[in-house]
Amino acid sequence: MDVAQALVMGMQTWGIVGALVAAVFLTIGIDRIDEDARGAYAFRPLLIPAVLLIWPIILWRWWQIESERAAWAARYRAVRAPYGLAVCLMSIGIVVIVFTGLSVRQTWPAGIAPVQLTKGASQ
Amino acid sequence: MSVKYTPVQWNRNKWIYDAVMLAGVAAFLWVFLYVTPEVLNHDRAINPQIHNARAFGACAFVMLTVILCIGPAARLDKRFLPLLYNRRHFGVMTAFVAITHAGYILNWYFNFSSSDKYVGLLYANSSFGQIAGFPFEIFGIFALVCLLILAATSHDFWLKFLTPPVWKRLHYLIYAAYFSVAAHVSLGILQDQQNHLFTVVFMLGAAAVIVLHIAAWLSERGEAAAKDGAWAKVAPVGAFRDGYAKIAKLANGDRVAVYLMEGKLSAISNACAHQNGPLGEGKIIDCLVTCPWHGFQYDVRSGRSPAPFTEMVPTYRVRIEGDMVEVHPDANPPGTYVEPVPIPTPPSSEGVTA
Amino acid sequence: MSEKPFFVGYLPAPGPLRMFLLAACVLLIAGLGTAGYLMGAAQDDPGPGAFRFDYGRQTVTGVIEMTPYPVLHVVEGNDRIMPGDSFMMTAAGKSGVDSRAMPLNGQLAQVSGIVLERGDLYMMQLRGGRNGLRAAEGDVPEIPTEPQGRWQLSGEICDGKCLAGAMRPGRGLAHKACANLCLLGDVPPIFVSTQPVLGSEFLLITGPGGTRLPRAAYDYVAQFITAEGEITKRGDLLVWEIDTDTIEVTE
Repeated sequence: MDVAQALVMGMQTWGIVGALVAAVFLTIGIDRIDEDARGAYAFRPLLIPAVLLIWPIILWRWWQIESERAAWAARYRAVRAPYGLAVCLMSIGIVVIVFTGLSVRQTWPAGIAPVQLTKGASQ
Repeated sequence: MSVKYTPVQWNRNKWIYDAVMLAGVAAFLWVFLYVTPEVLNHDRAINPQIHNARAFGACAFVMLTVILCIGPAARLDKRFLPLLYNRRHFGVMTAFVAITHAGYILNWYFNFSSSDKYVGLLYANSSFGQIAGFPFEIFGIFALVCLLILAATSHDFWLKFLTPPVWKRLHYLIYAAYFSVAAHVSLGILQDQQNHLFTVVFMLGAAAVIVLHIAAWLSERGEAAAKDGAWAKVAPVGAFRDGYAKIAKLANGDRVAVYLMEGKLSAISNACAHQNGPLGEGKIIDCLVTCPWHGFQYDVRSGRSPAPFTEMVPTYRVRIEGDMVEVHPDANPPGTYVEPVPIPTPPSSEGVTA
Repeated sequence: MSEKPFFVGYLPAPGPLRMFLLAACVLLIAGLGTAGYLMGAAQDDPGPGAFRFDYGRQTVTGVIEMTPYPVLHVVEGNDRIMPGDSFMMTAAGKSGVDSRAMPLNGQLAQVSGIVLERGDLYMMQLRGGRNGLRAAEGDVPEIPTEPQGRWQLSGEICDGKCLAGAMRPGRGLAHKACANLCLLGDVPPIFVSTQPVLGSEFLLITGPGGTRLPRAAYDYVAQFITAEGEITKRGDLLVWEIDTDTIEVTE
C-alpha cells in the first residue's frame, strides 16, 4: 500500500511539474521556437495534455531548438529501421501472452468432491 | 499544412472520415449496450456499470485493431491510403473510448472502499508472482497511458516541434500498447469467459494485426536493397514516368525521391517534412510533388512548399551515367535549389502514361 | 500500367477510388456493429446474486459472534428471517461492520438493513451507525458450536458481498482486485465449494484458530483451489478455518 501511495503521489507530482512547464512553454516558449505559433492561440489549450504527459521530452526539445543543437538533416531521416523490430516484438509478445493466458485458464473443478479427513468432536 | 496553427484543419474529407468513424463507434456501442442485453436475457442482468465498462473496453480494442490494420493495408495496397489520411482522429477517439472504459472500472470495482480508488487500483491485487490472477489492470493502465500520449501529441504542432523522427519513435508506443491490451484481455476477461465466441473474435482481431504488419514489413524489406558507392544508382532512364518518382535508398539509410517533371530529373528527400511520409510514392500535381499521406506539396527543384507555406525538404544532386540515373548521397540543406537534369531522349514509355 | 487514382486529402476523392472508399466505409460501420453484437452477446450469465430491495428493510434481533467476521445468530426473526438462522453482515460499500460489532460480541443486538441473496447464501448490508446495529435487551441464549472435523474442499475464495449479489458478476479472476479490496475492507470471505459440504455450498472462511483470512491466501482469491481445514458449525453457519499451507491450484 505504501508503494501504491508513493506511486500515486509520484504521478501527482509529475502532473504538477507538467502544469508548470505547460504554463511557461505555451505562453513564452512556443512563441520563441515556432513562428507559425505566433498570434495563434486557439490551438494552444489542445497542447496542454501532451505537456502534462511528456514534459521532459518537451523540455529537451525546447533546449535543443534554443541551443540549435539538432542537425538539420535529422528531421528528414525517416524512422524505418525499428519498424520490423517493433512489429516482430509485438507479434511474438501477443502470441506468447495469449497462449500463456489460455494455458493457465482453469475450469471449475465440479468433479472434485469434498473429502472429510478427520471426524469432528461433535460427530 | 501549417502557416498559422488552428485547433483542427478541417476539410470535407476529414468531415466524411470522422462521420464514418463516429457512425462505426456508435453502431458498436449501441448494439453492445442496448441490443445485446435483450439477446442475453439473463435472469439477473449484468450490472450496468460492468456492462458499460465491457462495451467501451471491447470497443477500444476493436478500434485499435482497425487503426493498426490501416497502416500496413495502405503499404500493401495504395487504395487504402485515404483511410490513413485522418487516422489521428480515429486514434484520439480511441483514447476517449478507452478512458471511458477505465472510468467505469475505476468508479465501480475500485470505488466504495475506505482507500483512495487510485491507490486501491495499484495495491488491491499484488499477486505479481503468478500468471493466473496476475494484476492484469497494470497492462490496461500502461496501454491507456500510451494511447493518451499518442492522442495528446497528435496535433501537427508536435510533429514540427518534436521532428517527425522523434514523433514517429514516440508513436511506436502503439505497438507496445497493443501488446499490452492483448495481455490485459488474456489475463483478464479471457480467464473467466465461458462463451468462447469472445475469445475467437479477440484472437481474429489480433491475428489480423499481426499478419498485416508482418506482410507489410516483409514486402518493404524486399523492395529496399541497399545500394553502395559515392553516387547511388536509382534506375535506368527509361524507367521514369513523367510526374512520378523512383525511390533510391542510400547507404546511410536515407531515401531519395527522384522525380521526372517535364522531361527533367530532380531529386528531393523521400521524407515529407510533415510526418516523413514517402514523397516518392506521391505524384506531381500542378508542378508540385504531392505527399500521398496528407497532401503536403513541394517544388521538386528546391524542396520548398509554395508560399505561404514554409515547409522544406533537402534536395539532392542528380546525374545520368550512360543509361543510369544516379544521385549523390550528400543531401543539400532543405530548400536548396538544384538545376534539373534533362534526360537525353523522351522516355520510351511515353505512350503508357496516356 | 494504367493511371492509378491518387488521393489528396484536401481534394475530392478521384472517381475510381470513390466506390472502393464507399465500400470500405460501409464495411467499417457494419463490421463494428457486428463486432459489438458478437462481443456483447457472448457475455456469460452473471449468476443469481442480487440486493433484495424488493424484500424491503429487514430488522431482526440475535446474538453477535465474532468468528472473527461478525455473524448474527437470529433469536427474534420476522417472516423472512427465521429464529435459528445465522448470517454474515457488511456495511455499505467495501467495508465490514467489525468496529460496530466488536463491542457487542456475545451479546444480543438488533440489526437492520437490506438482504443480499444468492441461492442459499444470504447476508445483510446494515444501515449506518446505530440504526443498523445496536444492543438489544433480553436473555442471551447459548449458541451451539459443533466441530465437524478436518475437510479437504475444492472451489473458490470469494468476497462474500460481491458474490452474494453486490456485483454481477461478483466472482472470477477479472473481479479479483475488487474481491481483494473488499476482503481488505473486512467484508467476510466465502468459499464456494464445488459440491455441497454438510448441506451447504457456501462456507465462511477464517484463518487458523479464528483469525482473519491470512494475506497468503489473497494470491489465491478467485482461482480454483483445493485446501484443507477444520469446519465448525456455528449456529446455522459453516465456518472453515482454511490452512493456507495446503492451498493448491487445481488443474
